Amino acid sequence: MSETPRFNRVLIANRGEIALRIQRACRQLGLETVAVYSEADADSRHVHEADVALCIGPAAAARSYLDPNGLLLAARLTGAQAIHPGYGFLSENADFADAVEEAGLTFIGPTGASIRMMGDKITAKRAMREAGVPCVPGSDGPLPADMDAVKAIALDVGFPVIVKASGGGGGRGMRVVERVEDLAQAVTLTAKEAEQAFGNPTLYLERFMQKPRHIEIQVLCDTHGTALWLGARDCSLQRRHQKVLEEASAPGILPETIAEIGERCAEACRRIGYRGAGTFEFLYEDGVFAFIEMNTRVQVEHPITEETTGIDIVAEQLRIAQGAKLGIAQADIGLRGHAIECRLNAEDPFTFMPSPGTITRWDLPGGPGIRVDTHVVAGYTVQPYYDSLIGKIISYGATREQAIARMRVALAEMKVEGVSTNIALHQDLLADPAFARGGVDIHYLERWLAKRTAS
Amino acid sequence: MSNRSETLVPHFDRLPEPEQIGQMATWLAQAGLESLELCNEAAGLKLRIRVGQAAPAAATSHAPAVSQPDAGAGLVAVKTPYFGHLCLTHPQRDSAFAPVGAKVAQGDTVALLTLDSLQVPVPAPVAGTVAEVTGQAGALVGYGTAIMQIQPD
Repeated sequence: MSETPRFNRVLIANRGEIALRIQRACRQLGLETVAVYSEADADSRHVHEADVALCIGPAAAARSYLDPNGLLLAARLTGAQAIHPGYGFLSENADFADAVEEAGLTFIGPTGASIRMMGDKITAKRAMREAGVPCVPGSDGPLPADMDAVKAIALDVGFPVIVKASGGGGGRGMRVVERVEDLAQAVTLTAKEAEQAFGNPTLYLERFMQKPRHIEIQVLCDTHGTALWLGARDCSLQRRHQKVLEEASAPGILPETIAEIGERCAEACRRIGYRGAGTFEFLYEDGVFAFIEMNTRVQVEHPITEETTGIDIVAEQLRIAQGAKLGIAQADIGLRGHAIECRLNAEDPFTFMPSPGTITRWDLPGGPGIRVDTHVVAGYTVQPYYDSLIGKIISYGATREQAIARMRVALAEMKVEGVSTNIALHQDLLADPAFARGGVDIHYLERWLAKRTAS
Repeated sequence: MSNRSETLVPHFDRLPEPEQIGQMATWLAQAGLESLELCNEAAGLKLRIRVGQAAPAAATSHAPAVSQPDAGAGLVAVKTPYFGHLCLTHPQRDSAFAPVGAKVAQGDTVALLTLDSLQVPVPAPVAGTVAEVTGQAGALVGYGTAIMQIQPD
């Protein structure tokens, strides 16, 4: 940490487990914390532990955790000099990041300009392509009128391809083409439909990834030109685009492959002057990585990377915001063992309906290689106003098999009463042969759930 | 955010009952949301619910948090509509807005919350007599803090 710290009191603009996680990192670094909370969260653990706690509004997030003016006023009144946004809420709101800095406070995250650039998919993709980060192979612009030229592009990109209307969206104006013989007809039809539906016949095409995995790279960048990559996470087990279970490293992908993509991500960060923690999300299929988006904040699943690298990502966020240089070099980062995170949600394990209510029993697992990040204690009431995440169990092992075995025991030990949880779903997933082999795609869980419902 | 609409209309294959739509509107208002749209293209169904919301802003007066009469003495708590430093006396005068024993009308300003240059009035939720002042002048108080008790007329 630099000799005169930029801040010694941090306002945590979030709730739940991540608010407690940030508070722990602050306290370990000797920083005071301000908990701002909605009326519904008055009894939260981080509120009780905070140096200053202030109720800033009613349960509705729009008038509490999502109210930029209220948060800035609260920072002023409580003497906080920095704001950590956590994830969700205002964490990727470029205007809020700018407003925090304009108020003379430190935003613990990247600049508003970086958030803005990554928030726009077109500018983000362009910046990434220029920096050498692989994107979905495609026509990189409008398709030419000459069909032979279109065929040449498609063959170069590789089949199957998806032909899309520039003006389209929401799943309309697109067509998957499996074979080159079908291309001409598909292009003609899609152009006609695009003209009719959007008044614009312009098309482009991309490689269609059928069974991709979700692989992401964690980065950490200081304000002195150092950008590090901290390995990969596999977050392919998703339901309705919500991650359910994540693991690090990504099974079956060679470390050299991850190192190459990781270095490209770090180089992209250096080029755009990125600061703080961030995540590059990719689709991965048949050895091809395709950039989807960058998350300009700490992520829910950051602990599995902490377990495999030994780096406290949230503490590093705070140090970077203080202006400190990263004390580690890429060569110091060893990716050891394997870590798995199971997200515990207060929801029905079969219907996924949220299950708010008071938790009457809360027995936590333990033992070597088990970490639980949660704000919940027995007697805690899960509110209906926010997401249903009540905690995260993280298991670590020297091998993937050991991490899975430890997670199995942890899930069996975890006892929750008063609300329904998805513990049973995690247990079924861990017992699934395809999961045990590793490397399932992003559609696997939904197919698996559909089969379960049918049987 | 909780996904309450799933409970109510799991497949949206027909329009909900009017009571259900009313319930959804209530939930929208409680969540601080403006509108909700459900669409089932295949069934040709579309439902749009809009509720009026006051734009939240620090400088404007807010509806005070709901005050329930105290079961025992029938007292009604005055709750702060925002957060800030509590000011019990008028800044330009030396007198308290509403000391114990003062008669107040509903909506009377009984205290101020100061946030730098901003001042947010705290209105009396009911007409009556101030029975007790529990808030400390100058203290930083949060949203929804009970600062006074009023004995309703």
